[in-house]
Amino acid sequence: MSDFQELVKSFSKTREYVRDFFVYGFKTRDEFTGKSPRTYDNERRRLESWLGEHVRKDHVSNGCNISLAIDSNLLDTNPLFRVWKTKSFTDNDIVLHFLILDLLQDGAELTVEEITSGLLEEYEALFDIQTVRRKCNAYEKEGLLKKKKSGKTVVFSIDNSLAHWIKSNEGMLDALAFYQMAGNLGIIGNYLSEQSDHHNQTFRVKHSFCVHTLEEEILFALLDAMNRKTDVRLEMKSSKNGALNTADCTPLQIFTSTRSGRRFLCGYVKKSRRFTCYRLDTVKIVTPSDPSEGYEELLAQLGRNRCYLWGVSFQGNSQHHLNKLTMTIQALEPSEQYIVERLKREGRGGTVTRIKRNVYQYEIEVFDCNEILPWIRTFTGRILSLECTDRSVEKRFYRDLQTMYRIYQIDGNT
Amino acid sequence: MELFSEIYSCYYQVLRHLLRSQDTLTIQDIRHRISGEGFEESLLSIIPKLEDGTWNLFEKDGKLYRSRLSSSFTTPVSDLEKSYLKALLSDPRIGLFLDREQLEALDNMLADVAPLWRPEQFYYFDRFADSDPYEDENYRDCFRTLLQAQKQNRYVDIDYTSPNGTRVHHHYIPARLEYSVKNDKFRVLALKPTHPAKHLKLETLNVSRIQSVRLLPKTLSSPVDLDAMIQRSYYKEPLRLRIVNKRNALERAMLHFANYEKNTTKIDEDTYECLIYYNRNMETELLIEVMSFGPMLTVLENERFLNSLKDRLQKQMRIVPPAENIYNT
Repeated sequence: MSDFQELVKSFSKTREYVRDFFVYGFKTRDEFTGKSPRTYDNERRRLESWLGEHVRKDHVSNGCNISLAIDSNLLDTNPLFRVWKTKSFTDNDIVLHFLILDLLQDGAELTVEEITSGLLEEYEALFDIQTVRRKCNAYEKEGLLKKKKSGKTVVFSIDNSLAHWIKSNEGMLDALAFYQMAGNLGIIGNYLSEQSDHHNQTFRVKHSFCVHTLEEEILFALLDAMNRKTDVRLEMKSSKNGALNTADCTPLQIFTSTRSGRRFLCGYVKKSRRFTCYRLDTVKIVTPSDPSEGYEELLAQLGRNRCYLWGVSFQGNSQHHLNKLTMTIQALEPSEQYIVERLKREGRGGTVTRIKRNVYQYEIEVFDCNEILPWIRTFTGRILSLECTDRSVEKRFYRDLQTMYRIYQIDGNT
Repeated sequence: MELFSEIYSCYYQVLRHLLRSQDTLTIQDIRHRISGEGFEESLLSIIPKLEDGTWNLFEKDGKLYRSRLSSSFTTPVSDLEKSYLKALLSDPRIGLFLDREQLEALDNMLADVAPLWRPEQFYYFDRFADSDPYEDENYRDCFRTLLQAQKQNRYVDIDYTSPNGTRVHHHYIPARLEYSVKNDKFRVLALKPTHPAKHLKLETLNVSRIQSVRLLPKTLSSPVDLDAMIQRSYYKEPLRLRIVNKRNALERAMLHFANYEKNTTKIDEDTYECLIYYNRNMETELLIEVMSFGPMLTVLENERFLNSLKDRLQKQMRIVPPAENIYNT
């Protein structure tokens, strides 16, 4: 395997492999269908190289399972951030990076010609002017260099005041340590922490879902489109059957589940005149298209609709536009007051009414009551009744309950 | 602005650390540094480039390497990072870390920068309704004192109202500040000295329930391996689940339980078994999560967890016997 390279050009190809290893973590070489064994071997080797300490190997009858063993209770950083630090580069890239930035450290304003000769004189590094100009312009685009034109002369310089401020400000370093773990686009917080040589030893995050950092390139592209109020074309791959499809929409808001870490784009689809949510981990490519029409009005319309959402579905199975769900539960007073608190805290705007001693009613009206069922099930053991205008929801709840009685051989006598 | 860029790459970081060193380095020193900070196979790529001078970043003096860069070399903050920082300025929690003066200073430095996102562009649809009061001055004071104590391994005197309303007063050493995304709350993972054995016990306290914190001069004499303490607290018998992959149950379960340490094995074409490691503090939450899946998951072991689940089902059957519901088949 002499052609093996530890670094990669594109993130998107790697993203799928890492996700599969992380999420499933039980596939052997034979089970990674659709890719050649050599590709699998290279991807696996990279993964082991990047994430060595978290890779677990289990020997099974048909081969070796490679999985990622990550316990979020023990993490000071997201180990999958390492995947973001694997971009390949050329020899010129790395040499010019350090030498140009070093040459400009003292705040000097230099032309490309002066930089080129400075590289030779100060560092014995010979580069042609065009190569240096390309790098300086690229770094100006990334914001690492400042470009100033005076007359016909263009000069480049560095402003390190913000970098020094961050490094000398303990509160800022603490903030970065926290936000890299708990905030949006945490990888950028991690980049900043790393450049300041600061490592988190203070914060832990409960309910942290490391794998979703792999979608941040998609999130980044969507936020850019939202900021510019531009429609987008999404190219997606179904997580159920791998089918490819596309969607055109106006990107409005990112919906996030704190319980699973899943993120969705909520967009408006002109063709169907509906709001629809798309899972970010299924989106492979985001392409901006035309400027969005009536963006603010669509946002306002979404705001009006959002109070009827339980999760991310704008349409249930029933004929009704809205469905009402009513659950009556038993909560002993005063010892089980925490159950009533749970209804209020987790009930997403539903009303909680005390019917009589030890009996409370929870009621909510939403587009799709199917989405509430997982939460309803968490009250198993105290549900006195469940009613829903979408009868299929009631039916599913009671049938699932019967199935569970059968699975666990519950007879109600013990 | 590129999110996936070589300027943030591991190799660039390793090289930056090597190049900032003003000491002369042997190739062994360099190898040692790369092994510690780089990927497992980075040595194979980096060392030949330094040895043959392709990356002409060191002056070679016989077998010694001296950086060509100044010791004060600093990477400037990129536009991507600036717009990230600008977005943080609108986050309600930023006031826990920066005072008004610092916030103003940062805001001034980012005056012409557009934020990468605005808070209203995100909607956390299943977040609990009782977030911590980040704007409250007493809350901020407590948070900052805990943060200082944690970093200095200092003891603190905490006055705390427990969930059942009892007021308790104890000395603790804050080991970590834990944030829950779901609850939008901070908790402090605190070590509590117990007498007379001088043993340290790990407790979790909600920051919003802390009435006051006082920093004490005493510091922790020897470091504590918090991770080992957490791992020791896990039950020896993990939760063993069977997942039949219908309606995408497998992917849903794998993502849902991704925050636990787990190990999944394929049993046959559609059936999988998943081991989840947990402790007493996680037990109720894990039980609730498993119940939310209904019959899509089957609990096989351990006995304790299985009994808790069965107990809830027994209670449900007793309060609404199957004959009373119209969908009984």
